[in-house]
This record gives sequence, C-alpha cells and structure tokens, in this order.
Amino acid sequence: MEKTNDVILSIKDLKVNIRIDEGTLTAVRGVDFDIRRGETLGLVGESGCGKSLTSKAILGINDKKCKAEGEINFDADDLGWVNLLSLNPRGKEIRSVRGKQISMIFQEPMVAFSPMYTIGNQINEATLLHITKDKKKAKEISLGVMKKVGIANAEKRYDQYPHEFSGGMLQRALIAMALVCNPKLLIADEPTTALDVTIQAQILELMKELQKDFGMSILFITHDLGTVARMCDRVAVMYLGRIVETAPATEIYKNPQHPYTQGLIGSVHKIGTKAQERLFSIEGTVPLALNLPAGCGFYERCHRRIEGVCNVYDPQLVDVGGGHQIACFACTGCPNAGKEENA
Amino acid sequence: MSKGDQILDIQHVHMRFASKGLVVKAVTDVSFPVMEGETIGIVGESGCGKTTLGRCIVRAYEPSEGKVMYTAADGQTIDFLQIDKATMKKYRKEIQMIFQDPYSSLDPRMTVYDIIKEPLVANFPKMPKKEIERRVMEIAEKVGLNTTYLKRYPHAFSGGQRQRIGIARALVISPRVIVCDEAVSALDVSIQAQVINLLHDLQKELGLTYLFISHDLSVVEYISDKVGVMYLGKMVEFAETRSLFSHPMHPYTESLLSAVPVADPTVKSERIPLEGEIPNPANPPSGCHFHTRCRFCTEKCKREVPEYQELEPGHYVACHRAQELTLRGFTYE
Amino acid sequence: MAFFKKKTAKDESYYLASQWVLMWRKLQKHKLAQFSLSLLLVLYLGALFADFIAPYGLEEFSSLYKNTAPTKIYWEDENGDFSRPYVYKLKKVNDKKTWSVIITEDTSEKYYIDLFVEGGEYKLLGLIPSNLHLYGLVNEAGEVDRSVRVNIFGADSTGACIFSRILFGARVSLTIPFVSAAISFVLGILLGGISGYFGGMVDNIIQRIIEVLSAIPSIPLWMALSAAIPPGISVSAMYLYITIILSFIGWTGLARVVRGKFIALRKEDFVMAAKLAGVSDFKIIIKHLVPGFLSYLIVNLTLGIPGSILGETSMSYLGLGMKAPATSWGVLLKETEDLVSVAQCPWKMIPLVFVIITVLAYNFLGDGLRDAADPYK
Repeated sequence: MEKTNDVILSIKDLKVNIRIDEGTLTAVRGVDFDIRRGETLGLVGESGCGKSLTSKAILGINDKKCKAEGEINFDADDLGWVNLLSLNPRGKEIRSVRGKQISMIFQEPMVAFSPMYTIGNQINEATLLHITKDKKKAKEISLGVMKKVGIANAEKRYDQYPHEFSGGMLQRALIAMALVCNPKLLIADEPTTALDVTIQAQILELMKELQKDFGMSILFITHDLGTVARMCDRVAVMYLGRIVETAPATEIYKNPQHPYTQGLIGSVHKIGTKAQERLFSIEGTVPLALNLPAGCGFYERCHRRIEGVCNVYDPQLVDVGGGHQIACFACTGCPNAGKEENA
Repeated sequence: MSKGDQILDIQHVHMRFASKGLVVKAVTDVSFPVMEGETIGIVGESGCGKTTLGRCIVRAYEPSEGKVMYTAADGQTIDFLQIDKATMKKYRKEIQMIFQDPYSSLDPRMTVYDIIKEPLVANFPKMPKKEIERRVMEIAEKVGLNTTYLKRYPHAFSGGQRQRIGIARALVISPRVIVCDEAVSALDVSIQAQVINLLHDLQKELGLTYLFISHDLSVVEYISDKVGVMYLGKMVEFAETRSLFSHPMHPYTESLLSAVPVADPTVKSERIPLEGEIPNPANPPSGCHFHTRCRFCTEKCKREVPEYQELEPGHYVACHRAQELTLRGFTYE
Repeated sequence: MAFFKKKTAKDESYYLASQWVLMWRKLQKHKLAQFSLSLLLVLYLGALFADFIAPYGLEEFSSLYKNTAPTKIYWEDENGDFSRPYVYKLKKVNDKKTWSVIITEDTSEKYYIDLFVEGGEYKLLGLIPSNLHLYGLVNEAGEVDRSVRVNIFGADSTGACIFSRILFGARVSLTIPFVSAAISFVLGILLGGISGYFGGMVDNIIQRIIEVLSAIPSIPLWMALSAAIPPGISVSAMYLYITIILSFIGWTGLARVVRGKFIALRKEDFVMAAKLAGVSDFKIIIKHLVPGFLSYLIVNLTLGIPGSILGETSMSYLGLGMKAPATSWGVLLKETEDLVSVAQCPWKMIPLVFVIITVLAYNFLGDGLRDAADPYK
C-alpha cells in the first residue's frame, strides 16, 4: 500500500504461525488493516481468534514458538515508513519503536507490574530509557503523567508498591507508564476486562480524554462489544485469524452484514429492549486453526452458508462503500461465479 | 405446591470471615424472598459478597447468623442452615450450584459420564446401573451434549460444552433451586448466549428456580425476574427487574446502571460519575457504606446505617434519601 | 449435532485418554527422560538376571586374581588376523632381580570367550535351576576351564570379578530405594493426608515433627539408628533395617507434598460440587483428592530415589549398612577407601560410575515426570 499522510500503521497479509506438538497452527491467517492518526480501531473477536497475537506481532513480543510473516508498516519517527517485521527483533531500531512510539497496556495490571519495585520506579524506567537521562527531570515527567491519568496524591503514590494500589488505580498507573513517552500508537489489549463495571467506565473515559490530549491512535482489542461501541471510531471483527468485517463503529452496529458480526451483536442483550424469548446465538464453537478445510472459516457455524461456494473459495474483504468491508460470499456475491462458468 | 409459592426465604444472613486478626464482614444482614420458578439476579462489583451469599445459601459455607427457610417439595418448611445430617441428606440435593470456571469445576481425571453420574450414586446408592445410565443419558441430551462422547474426559471439551456438563451434573438429581455463580461470565459472547438460552429452556421445562449471581448487568436484566444489588456485603436494593432498571432508588444502583456499556454507539450514555474505589470490606465506612462515593451524601448518611425497607410494593431500598431522590435508569421501549 | 465436529481417529484417542495416558504421552516428548528410563530398565534387568549375566557368583573368587586389572581381551591372533576374542591365563612369576612375585599373562594357551557357557549353579529368578552364564571361557578344545577367569572390570582385593559384584550389588542398591519409597509412600500419604485434611492442631503437630526430623543431619541420624541394629544379623534382616532407616527420613518430604496438594485441591470447584451433591468426605478424598496428587507423589518419589540410593551407598561405605560378604555398591566402594588402592587399582572406581549413572538417570526421569505430572495445564 502507498503511504498516505494519514496512516501511521498498515498491516498487510499478516500471518502468525504457532508451532505446537501436533504441527503448525496458523492462528492469524492473513490480516490487513490500517490505523490512521488519532483514530481508535477496535479489534473484536472471541477467544482464540488471533486478536492478541496480532497486537503482539506489532511489537514483536510474541512467544518464541510464534512466527509472524507479512508486513507491518509503521511510520516511525527516525526510520520513516518501515516494516517492523524486517527489523531485528532484538535490535536497537525495534527497541526505539517499542515502548516509545508504540506502547501497550495489558489486561491484568497486577501482572504487568513487578511487585519488587515502586510504581514510580517502574514508570520512570521508560522515561529514563527513552526521554531523558536526568533522574530529577524524569521523575518530574513521570509525576506529571501520573497526575494526568488521575492518580490522586501522585507524589505519595510514586513511592508506593503495586500491592498498595487497587485494580483500577493500577490500570491507571499502567496507562501512565504507556503514555509517558507520548507514543503514536497505544495498543490496549482488553484493558478493562478484569475491572468492575464502574471502574471500567472510569478507565474508558480516561483513555478517551488522554487520546484527545496526546493525539495518539489506539488499537483497542476486546471481546466486549459494549466497550467497543463506547470507545472506537472503526471496528474490525476477527474470526479464526481473519478479519471478516470492518466498518465505522456506528455502521457496524446499525448495519452489520457478516453473519458472524450479526450473531455477535445479536447475542448480546440490550437493556431496555423488549426481551426476546431467546437470545440469538451462533451454533457450535470456534474450530482449532489446525488443518482447516478450504473455504470460509465460519462455514460450519454459518446460517447463510452457500454450499459449493463458501466451502470451496476463500472470501476476501470486499468494499461495499462507506469504508465498510465484508469478507462473505453471501453478502457480496460470489466473485468466482464467473470463473466457474468459464471453467 | 404450585408455581409462585415461596420456595426460599433468606432471612438476615450474616457471614463473617476471620483473617489475620481482622474480621471481614463478607455478607451483612441480607434478606429476600424467592418464589418458585422465578429467577433472582444478584449483581454487584467484585468483593461485594455476592458469591459468598450464594455459597451460604447452598451451605457450602456455614453462615455466622441468619436463616435460609426452604419449603421443600413435600411441603415442609425447614431452615436449611440448621437441619441435622440425616435431614440434610434428604434435602441437600434439592439446592444445587453451577460454577463460574468451567475448567476447575470438572475433575479432569474423571470421564464426563462419571462426573454426571456422581451425584446420582451419592444420593441413590441403591439405584441399579441401568437406571443410572438412563438418567445420565437423558440429562446429557437435555443439556445438548452428544451422548456418544460421554466416555471422553473433560479436556476434550471447550468452555461452553464444559459448562453444559456442569449444568448436567447439577440437574441430574432433579434439584428445585439452582445457584448460578457467574455461570456464563467465563464464556465467549456467542457461547454465553447458547448457555443462557439453555438455562432458560431448562427453567421452563423443569420449573427450576434460579439464583443468578453475576456482575454482568445486561445478562442479569435479560434472565431475571427480580434483581438484588449488593454493595460491600449489604443488599442495597431489591426489586422487580423492570422496576429496578427503569427507576432505581439507590444512588449506587443508578451509577452501576449508567456504567453499563451499551453495544450501540448511537446511545450516548451519560455516566453518573462514581468516583473512587470500593472501600476495603475489612474496614467499611461508618453509617451508610456507600456514603464515601455517593453524590447525595449528607451528614446523616455518615452517621446512621440506613434501614432496608420496602418503599414501593416489592421494591426494597436501603438509603436515607431514597424517597426524595429521583434517579435515572434505563428507558424501556 | 452441530456442536461436535468430525474428528480424526487420533483426536478421538486423545479425548478418551485418561490422566496416565496423557502423562505418558507428555513423557515421551521428553527425550532425556525417555533415554533415562530405558537406561534404568537395562540396569534393573541386569540386576534381575544377575546370576545369568554375571560370569561368576559371589562366592567364586580366586586368590590368583587379587587386585588384578581388567583382563586383556585379544581380537587378533599372532599373525595379526582377526580372531574370535580370547584371553590368556595368569601365572605367578618370580622377578629375578627383586625376588618379588609378579603376575603376568601365560601366553602358552588361549582361552576363548564364548556365549552361554556352563559355570556355577544358580536358580534363575529363584525358580529355574541352571548353570549357564551369558559368557565365559573355553579352552581351545572347547572345554570349560574354571580356573581361568575373564574379569572385564578387573578384580577386587579378594579376587572376585567386579563386574559380577556390580550386578549382584545392584540387587541391593537398586531395590532398597524402592522398598523404602514404598514405606515413605504409605507414611507420607497417611500423615500428609491427616495433616491436610484435619488441619488445625493435628496439622501443627505433624508439621513440627517433620521440621524436627528434617533438621537432623542425616549421617549422625544414620549412625544413631544403625547403632540400634542388633549385631550379627542376616543379610536380609540388614536389608530390612536399612530400608526402614532410609524411609524414616524419606517420608517427611512426601508428607509435605501431600499436605500441600490436599489443601490446594480442597479449594477446587469440583470438590465443592461433589460436596454439594452429597458425596461423602471419604469418597471425595478417594475419588477426587488422591488421584489429584498421585501423579505429584510419583514425581516426588522418583526424585527421592537418588537420595535413597546415595543414602544406602554412603551408609554401606561408612560401614553402617551392608557388610561384606553381602554386596552392594556401597560395599564395593568401600575398597576405594584408601588412596593407595585407588592409585594402584583405578578400576575399583567403576562401581562409582554406575552409582552416578543411576542417580543421574533418576533425576532426568524425575524431571521429565515433573513436566508431565499435570497434563491439564
């Protein structure tokens, strides 16, 4: 893809293979998406769909057993438009990107901090590494960010240990640590899943405010459609290592096209609506991405499947206008139909 | 006994844990009635005591105080917490539980058949093998398990299927009350819907009474007839689902409802700010436990513990200012 | 049903696999543990068929061969052509200069090494009487001459074949840990189980006893305990006493593992589910708790066996355990007590190699088992 000024991250045909005992499992099977400056892209899917692996591939922090292929192009400050996968995973260049220009917050703030050091100490680590070598200045910067993420009594909190923080406060501290270097892209991997609803709402609002202040882009990974609706400008729905539908957030809720997206939205009850007799549910379970049969990964569970098409050809994302792309033959028609006749 | 009669009456249940010299009041003075065939939702944030309450009701824990009056199938009303061992043996099987974690709730070393069979063997030691097999098959089919796979071990099954196995185990001895402790929280959204539908169908078919404990308000709203809201070990509000969600009477409920993420970006929900964090349950605030985070807090709230009272028919609230406040809830279509 | 997809036969066997099958599969992936397991198997088979494999019995020694080096085996005849392996017999010669007696090869006659040669009488596995040995010497006429010996690992100070003694010693050294493990096993489950199940005061007392026992240095404890063994008892009684002494110390670690697992498993949801279903406490222990920690127990036992082997070896070495003519690896090593004998007869260290190999093999196997112990993680 040609680089336009707007795009800061462009992923092309990303594949992540995991070596397991039974063979090679392709957990991410060719993912393409762009993230524009200042936007929030929601990556939605159920467990095992490859959303976390995708995000970790961007930072190159996947397990040793995982191997990423494809292109992850990033608009890095000093390197220009660079494919992150072509950099040495332990090299200096990727380290100047990781943590500084792209940072990440995790689902479990408790695990993300080392219990041995004070919170201030750990936030400072990033500051000292990327911004300034001056310890006094670094502390000032760290304290400033801690205040910005709404940690009251930041001076006192600076010297406290993680166990003295509650879950919500720790998540704030984690966000502070991620933002201290003013990254271009923040990857948030289920940042509120482990938190209570009221705390969750606080954190989401905080992230939105900070995005305005810092002007960063956010890749928001979650399984919770409610959170996505609150946070994101655009949504990409993943299933079995593929993006099956991507559209602006309002569009995807108003007009979901892919049967999987429809099922996902339909299976969440909306408070205030008249309770249906039964919740819409998608039959079956996600298959293991090992020795997948040809065709669409959703074929077995799909209620709109077309035999002889969906289980033969692999659907690709097709633009249907308004930034809405769908990978489904039932929605966009079968592009191979003509070919078949010729053959 | 017919549908709609009272089946459980939870009266002033207290549960205190002693840990490291501190006494933690996990559940303080919780009372509510349960009618046969209905679903009571218990919601609240982590540490509010909802799980402890559920375990007290099934008597997995021995509550420090209080009564759980149970009207058995034979019409007798007994205090489930006081009965002796012999009577317990008789009634134990009528109140069962479904667990949150579909992984740790099944013994990985037993086949699915053995797992489902276990309660039957324990309660009916004289039941012939044929009858046991028939019952296990029947219940497995009912919860949507393929009966040809019963000889497999749990590791062969996904989370949703494991939860079905857990449900089958709870149902095989024909209980009347089932406590579902976050029964769908660990599952993926699409699987959640499958299990909720299953629970719904089973209730209709078998006339089950559910106590549905969850932190997920939209699931609770969908499945429950009545909902109780807990905060720091206390029941702060209890009412019919519609009534509670459309006009909450406790400020905590209001904040909780406003924090629910709605899967619709066009709904610009206005969150009612609930600042700060949940206080330490070992050292709860004086007066009304919620006063430290309440935007309507008065001096009285800091001093006096509000009484849990029925302000409207079937709508119980524990708040000094419940009557003067008009709080926002969801608008129903 | 739509929920269940068609699976291949391989999947199906995995789904029907019990804990032990899963453990075995995981263990098979641990190559070092696999190798160790086969090595141990070879060692144990060697001990089991020691009468057959060893060319000489425990009572067969020859003063001529005292402290002699491993017998030289020739593969070439006088013309440098390949020949079936043969040895020469030894003879005493007076050194003309020093007048001391030296032992040299008598190259006048060849003795060929042959398979399945008749030798001392024994009962195979204690049942089948036989006098065939795996290998032995025959003279050129094909007759057995029992005065000539082939000691592939050399001979000890009595002139007995060290290889044979290693095999016979393995019977004691390799089985004592098993028997003592069995005793530890019972004690560990019982006391650890009681400790974990009842908790409170009982738990406290048992835990303190364990701490006191494991705080006593082992060598003084052995000395104290072996002082209690009556003198002049038979070999088998000695064997029994040593196992008891070793298991006396071994059970403490196991009891701790059992207690820890017991407490952890009691908190699992499936145990609560069983309780709520009305399953009795005893049945819960038997059906859920014991199978849950059995695999960990086996791991711990495996990792504990090297300790017992070394324990027996050290006890015998210190003269607290087995004493000659009974043979164990420790007894064999007793010959290497002084530096002179090690310097002059380095082949006497060969039993040590066996001890090291066995201990290492058990450690590797235990390592593999530990990784496989919980196949559900």
